[in-house]
This record gives sequence, C-alpha cells and structure tokens, in this order.
Amino acid sequence: MRRIKAFLLTLALLLVTAGTALAQGETLRFSIWSGNQAHLDMLNGFAESFRETHPGVQVQLDVIPFADYVQKVTLQLAGGNPPDIGWLAEASAPTFIEAGVLADVSGALEGDSEYDFQDFSQSALGLWQQGDVLYGIPFSNSPLIVYYNADMFEAAGMETPDVLAERGEWTWEKFREVANATAEATPDGVYGYEQSDGEGYGSRVWIAITPMLRAFGSDAWNDQGECLLDSPESVEAMTLYHDMIFEDESIVPPGERADFFSGNSAITITQLSRTAQLQGAGFDWGIAPLPSGPAGQVAIVGQAALVVFKNAPNRDLAIEFAKHITSQENVATMAQFFPPARRSVLESDAFLQSNAIVSPEDMQIIADGIINGSVVPSHPNFPRIDASARPIFDQLWRPNADVGSVLGQVCDTISPLLASD
Amino acid sequence: MSYAQKAERRVERRRGWSLARRDALFGYLFISPQVLGFLVFVVGPIVAVFVFSLSERNLLTGQSTFVGLENYAWMFTADPVFRKVLVNSLVFTAGLVPLNIVLALVLALLLSRRRPGVTLFRTLFFAPVVTSAVAWAIVWRFMLQNESGTINQLLQLAGIDGPNWLREENWAMASVIVTRVLKNVGLNMIIYLAAIQGIPREYGDAARVDGANGWHVLRHVTIPMLAPTTLLITIITIVGSMQVFDHILLMTGGGPANATMVLVYYIYQQGFEFFATGYASSLSVILFIVTLGLTLAHWLLRGRER
Repeated sequence: MRRIKAFLLTLALLLVTAGTALAQGETLRFSIWSGNQAHLDMLNGFAESFRETHPGVQVQLDVIPFADYVQKVTLQLAGGNPPDIGWLAEASAPTFIEAGVLADVSGALEGDSEYDFQDFSQSALGLWQQGDVLYGIPFSNSPLIVYYNADMFEAAGMETPDVLAERGEWTWEKFREVANATAEATPDGVYGYEQSDGEGYGSRVWIAITPMLRAFGSDAWNDQGECLLDSPESVEAMTLYHDMIFEDESIVPPGERADFFSGNSAITITQLSRTAQLQGAGFDWGIAPLPSGPAGQVAIVGQAALVVFKNAPNRDLAIEFAKHITSQENVATMAQFFPPARRSVLESDAFLQSNAIVSPEDMQIIADGIINGSVVPSHPNFPRIDASARPIFDQLWRPNADVGSVLGQVCDTISPLLASD
Repeated sequence: MSYAQKAERRVERRRGWSLARRDALFGYLFISPQVLGFLVFVVGPIVAVFVFSLSERNLLTGQSTFVGLENYAWMFTADPVFRKVLVNSLVFTAGLVPLNIVLALVLALLLSRRRPGVTLFRTLFFAPVVTSAVAWAIVWRFMLQNESGTINQLLQLAGIDGPNWLREENWAMASVIVTRVLKNVGLNMIIYLAAIQGIPREYGDAARVDGANGWHVLRHVTIPMLAPTTLLITIITIVGSMQVFDHILLMTGGGPANATMVLVYYIYQQGFEFFATGYASSLSVILFIVTLGLTLAHWLLRGRER
C-alpha cells in the first residue's frame, strides 16, 4: 500500500512538472557553427528580448563545428528532427534550396513597414531569393580582406598593403613582390602568405583561388554553368600562384602550417570575424583590400544567412524569431562580428565604430568590399563538384605541374556536374 | 477409457508441455532483450542497406526511386573512382596485414622471455592500442609534415631529404599503412605472446636434444604451433583493415588525388557528403560481402585444421 502511495505521488509530481514545462511555452532549437562566447552571449541576448513580445519562448543554441555542420543538419533533417532555425553558409544555399527543405520567410517580412525589408541590399539577397520566395535572411555579408603583419613588413623594408592600395599600386604582381620580400626577411618556417585559415589546398581551395581568378578577369565557373578554370586568364592567374608557391616559396606550401594569427606569415586573406584571434596579438597588424589585377579591383563576399526549416516543429515561431534577430536594431548589434546586409546599418557611423580593435578607416575597407562585392561561386551540385575537383587540384600542388593541363582536366571533370542541376 | 486413465493422460500431457515448453519459454524470455536489440539494431539496418542499395536516394531531399541493380551496374562499369577505391583498399590490406603480423610476431618473440625491462617494453608497444585513434592520427600528421615535420627534420640530421609524406601519392599510402600498423600492432603482439607462452617448453627442449639450433626451433616448432593464432590474427587484421576510416579521414582525407581513398571512406563520402545514400548502401553491400567472405574463409580453414 505504501509503495502504491509513493508511486502515485511520484506520478502526480511528474505530471505537475510536465505541466509547468508546457505552460512555459515552446523551445526553439537554433543551430549555429560558432562556439565563441561573445557570439553566444549576443544570441542569448536576442532570445531575451524576443521573450518581451513572445513570453515563455526558450531558445536552445546547438553549436555544431563548421566542418561537420551541413552533414549534421542534413542528418537531423533526414531523421525527421530538424532544428527550427539555423545558420547556413553561401556554398550550401543552392543545394538546400533545391532540396526544398527551407521555409519561405518572405511573407512575414515584406508587409512589415517597421521591419523595412527594402533596407536589405538586393545583391546580398540574390543567392537566397527565387522569384518572390525568400529562403534565407543574410546576417553576415563578410568580404575577404587582406590582413598583414606590419612588423614583418617593416623588417623587410616594404610599404604596407594599405599604403600601396591608396596609391592604386596594390596589384597581384606587387603582392608577389611583398610576399617574397617578407618571406626572405624572416626565419625559415615563416612565410609571406598563408591562404584562408591554412586550408588553401583543402576545404577552402575555392576561397583561396577566387580572388586571383576574378582579378584576372575569370572565375571558377559562370552563371551559365560553364567552367572557366581553363581560360587563358585563369591559367595566367594560377601560374602566378603556382610560381609563388614553388619558385618563390613565399606561400605556405602543401602539407605545412604557418598560421598568420600566431605570427608565422606576413599576409593572409580572410574575413572580419577572424579579428577575434588578434586580441592581444604580439605584433602590429592592419587591413587592406584585395589586390587588383588586369581586370581591375574585385571584392568577394562570403555570406551566411538565417534559415527556417520547412518541417520545423515550430516553424512560424522560428520565422518570427528570424525576423527579430534581423531587425534593424539587432543587425546593428551583430555588425561588430558579422558585416550587415542592411544598407542603413552598413552606411552608419555606428558600423564603422562597432569593432573595438578595428579602426573606422579599416572598417570602411570592409564596408566598400560589401558594396562592391559579389559572392564566391556556388552551385546546387557543389558538394560533388568540390569533391571531384580536389583530387585533380592535388596534381597542381607539385613543383613541376603543368598548370594549363591540370586546369583543363579539372574542367573536363566538373563540366558535366556544372551542366546538370 | 476410465476416468483415472483420462486424468493420468491429462497430467502427462500437461507435464510434457510444461517441462519442454516451459523451459523453452523461459529460455526465450531470457534472451529476448538481446534478440530484440539484435533484430532492431543489427539485422534491421543490414536488411535496410540491401533494400536501399536498389534505389537512388537523397538524404537531404528524402526522395527515393527504385532503380533495381543500376547502382551496381554503375559501380562496376562506369564509376572511375570505385575501381581506384578497390585497388587502394587491396593495397592498404596487402601492405598492412603482413607488416602487422611479422612485426607482432617478432615483438612477441623478443618480449616472451623473462628479461629485465621486458614489462616496460610490452607496455610501450601496447600503449598505442589504448591511445585515442584521433590523437594518434593528428600527432602523426604533424610529425609527417614536409619541412617542419619531426620525421623529416630527423632525416635531415642524417643528410637525407625526406619526401612530403602525406602529399605525395605513393608515400601517402605508405605513411598511413605504417602509422596504422604502429597503432595496432600491440594487440596482435599480446595475442601472440599469450600463444607463445602456451607452447610447452618440452617441445623446444626435445628438439634441442636432437641437435636443433634456435632458428630450427623457431622454424619447425614455434611457428607451426602458432598457426591457429596466426590464422585468427590474419583474419581479424584483414577485416579490420577493410574497415579503416578514422585514420584516413584524419590523416589524408582520402587524398592526395584519391591515393588513400579506401572503401569505407568512399561510402562515407557518397552517403554523408553527397547525400547519395542509395549508392552508399550498394557500396556497403560490397563491403559486407567481402567481409562475410573472409569470415567464411576463416571458418572453413579453422574447421580443416581441426
């Protein structure tokens, strides 16, 4: 009898607890790839302010490392247990849109005059829009920029990239010269140029080569799905790149690591968010635009958007939350880490002042990059294109490679993938 | 039939039922959690893989079309990577298995005698087995870097210009094989050690009385006595080498130029990078058949020995 009483009591308690949990309202699951505490605090702040209009809503942040992100989210989708809302990088946009797993968020945004959807730069939305349907709201619109180690430039007796850029002399030829000079003026194991996050021969190969290809008037492929890697301009650009790696030995070679942020390379090309790694750096550094080439000045933007999943358990609430995060006020808050796609924020003085360790002049370089920039190449077949091209690219990373012939092989391999959706 | 007879019969019938049946029932009840788990988590997925392998499926869109044996046809006639993957898997196995077994045997023979310090060396060689595979692969990746890697810096001291181990096609395969052997050789060494210590000393002593030297004893007594162990080790090492994945993922990612792309890595790439779960399933069926074949071969060979 006593046992039965105890059992009933436990059951009653459980019911009460469950009841309170339900009364507290829904929980939104939000997948992101940054575990940076400052980013998490900011997002939790948005959840806090969201509760003012939506009492009781909890937001659970699911941090998935970038390298595994697409795979884990896909498995959750396949398992019928998708997150409600998440970040998505530009390279994945066509694949996810094509697969029909993203919800249309346009309805909630367009009618609202306070939200002012027209404020978003049209070029930033391009990748996420199909006709009237909007599959994502870009929250980070971050151009590739040159970071340089000012101490190494001084030791090599070279003018810094920003000074050269101001005079209009910051070209890829000049880039080669300064990379060479800084590599020679520094000890062994320190290089002139480290590609994006040290992944220039691996997962970030497209990011690493696109600035050169576009400056020379080419690209990896065009909107019609034609491979451009074997064009004369591409071959010229990649030959310069190859010479820098194997003749000058000024670029961190394949299989080596020499991190810019720990002072082992004079230059790197990456995005604003990496500035976090320069807190307390033991050297002077600066920011400059990308070098120009025969085709003039180019700017390249890496994007990430907020997306809501079509089969999310709390889809409508998630759309409301996405709208809340991308309100004018909150976009201004995010701007310190993620350059905005809202023109009003981008053009404000507050944006130029938003990052404590980046000067307003340097932030202006970023703002210019966003306004003039276009996104890195993407395609619905990108995962396959990437995986089939990389083994062939590997043949390029050899001292005696025939650049034109290898690039021709890359095009032969990826052209069928580019042509089919 | 009298009433008593009827009653007796009924009792008999019930007894017959209760003895055999009740025992069986209890037996089944006891193993049911295990069987249920096995059905749900092992047999279910295996059957599903066979079914999936007959369709073209996309993990992301959730679409699935029945295509019959098309995946297999494509695999054997049109997929240029699959052929390379099969060859790579064979090269990996052919390189890893003999190296692992010879090294394990040599180490076991050296460490089977009671000598000072022998326990220390046994521990040293076994330590990598219990080390995290991830840590092992990452540390080796750093040691095998071109100019700043420990291995090449040591070679430099001897005046040798080492290759770019993980970025040159032939060296990359050799590097993953050797580092994998070093990781797992301790396990086979322990199995051999146990087997060697189980060989009665009298056999060796008798041979010596007949004039055999150390080499003769090893060649004609120890190694033949170890044959069942060698067979076991060979099969589990082959099966293990067919299933290598984490090591490849962390050290080379299948590169350079697909030189280290082995079967399980290719399954992973198809299924979880391209979301082509149908094709990945048909590749898994091939792996299943190969592994099953090896296991059957082991059974048959063991049976013959007995």
